[in-house]
Amino acid sequence: MPEQWQKKEGYTVSLPNFEGPLDLLLYLIRKEEIDIVDIPIASITSQYLEYVELMKELDLEVAGEFILMAATLIQIKVRMLLPKTEPDGDEESEDPRAELIRQLLEYKRFKEVAETLNEKEDRQRRYFARCDFAWAKQYIPKEETASFDRGFMNDISLFDLLTAFKTVLDNAPRVTSHQLSAIGVTVQDQINYILGMLEKENRIPFHIMMTDLQDRLTIIVTFMAILELIRTKRLHVQQAGTFGDIWLIKQ
Amino acid sequence: MTKERIHDQTTRVIEALIFASDVPITAAQLHQYCEEAAPSKIRKAVNALNLEYTQQDRSFHIIEVAGGYQMVTREAYASWIRKLFHKRLRSRLTQAALETLSVIAFRQPVSRPEIAAIRGVNCDAVIKTLLERKLITLSGRGEGPGKPLLYKTTREFLRYFGINSIQDLPRPREIEELLKEDEDRPDDAIE
Repeated sequence: MPEQWQKKEGYTVSLPNFEGPLDLLLYLIRKEEIDIVDIPIASITSQYLEYVELMKELDLEVAGEFILMAATLIQIKVRMLLPKTEPDGDEESEDPRAELIRQLLEYKRFKEVAETLNEKEDRQRRYFARCDFAWAKQYIPKEETASFDRGFMNDISLFDLLTAFKTVLDNAPRVTSHQLSAIGVTVQDQINYILGMLEKENRIPFHIMMTDLQDRLTIIVTFMAILELIRTKRLHVQQAGTFGDIWLIKQ
Repeated sequence: MTKERIHDQTTRVIEALIFASDVPITAAQLHQYCEEAAPSKIRKAVNALNLEYTQQDRSFHIIEVAGGYQMVTREAYASWIRKLFHKRLRSRLTQAALETLSVIAFRQPVSRPEIAAIRGVNCDAVIKTLLERKLITLSGRGEGPGKPLLYKTTREFLRYFGINSIQDLPRPREIEELLKEDEDRPDDAIE
């Protein structure tokens, strides 16, 4: 396993979060200080495959595109090994790597722009304007008194809750770390976390409660904590209309 | 420092309009709502107001963003306001979202398949998030097979990144330039 993944904090293995196969390839090229127009296909292919294997081992979702790129790399490698035979056409046969290199460079251009956007976002997030308040406001119950009468808040089924849970899980950031031997948070931790949150607000939309949770595991544990709190009647769950927001309400 | 007070009524009206607007308000809009606010006068008024805020050590100022003016709190107070918003703040954009926005910004109007081809990954989920956050919007249909939907960036995109137009962003470097940088790199192998 490459050294940089063996994180200092004991059991956690951190994987660089590759956005796609091109991202991983650019990473390998930079790491190996390779000339992008003269990629040593054989060694890059084997390194690439190692990474994909590791991602699988760590149970990270390996998107289909990663597998497709693996196939492309192997195909290029084979074509590089074949003797250069002039096809019957009069065109010179192109370097088998040409298309991949073009793709990598094109991607790199926009990746650089993304870095600029990242810096600008960082700066801009330190200014607050009235539209930021307006955005935040939609997560505060509109009329504290009216909206929470039982009239249009429905009690919800476990299925509704599971649907909301699945949405959160589907939208969760791609896992960048993986706990190997220990789970970082316990159900009790998350019960305390939820009760702490409800201390301040009394009621919080389900998806807001779940934001800022770092990984799937924490989301799952937090969901288990919610179920436990409902079971022990310390928490009540209501939904604003059919398929509306689900609110967690302190009992 | 002499603290000159602003006596000009028009400047105060401009201030009130910028204060009350929840999105950046353009010079044209200011002029529309206040006849005396001639476009040539607006920038001067905003500068005078900002000077006043600085002199009075105010916690906010007016910035020029997305082609308009907007009153925002100063950077120094960010940590307290974050506490006020607590859990309600929008999360930062992911790397995937930033890359997708980069492509849309410089290729717009552009279709999903074109974006996916450049990034080498499917971008359906990212597009959905960007639409929800109003950073991009639909801009009709393309010519290709299946007439794919096309996307473009919005004014909210400009506001979110604190710029006035796409021209404020550095253009993606040309491929030749990327290659040149590659050649220029000192090569350890050469003795």
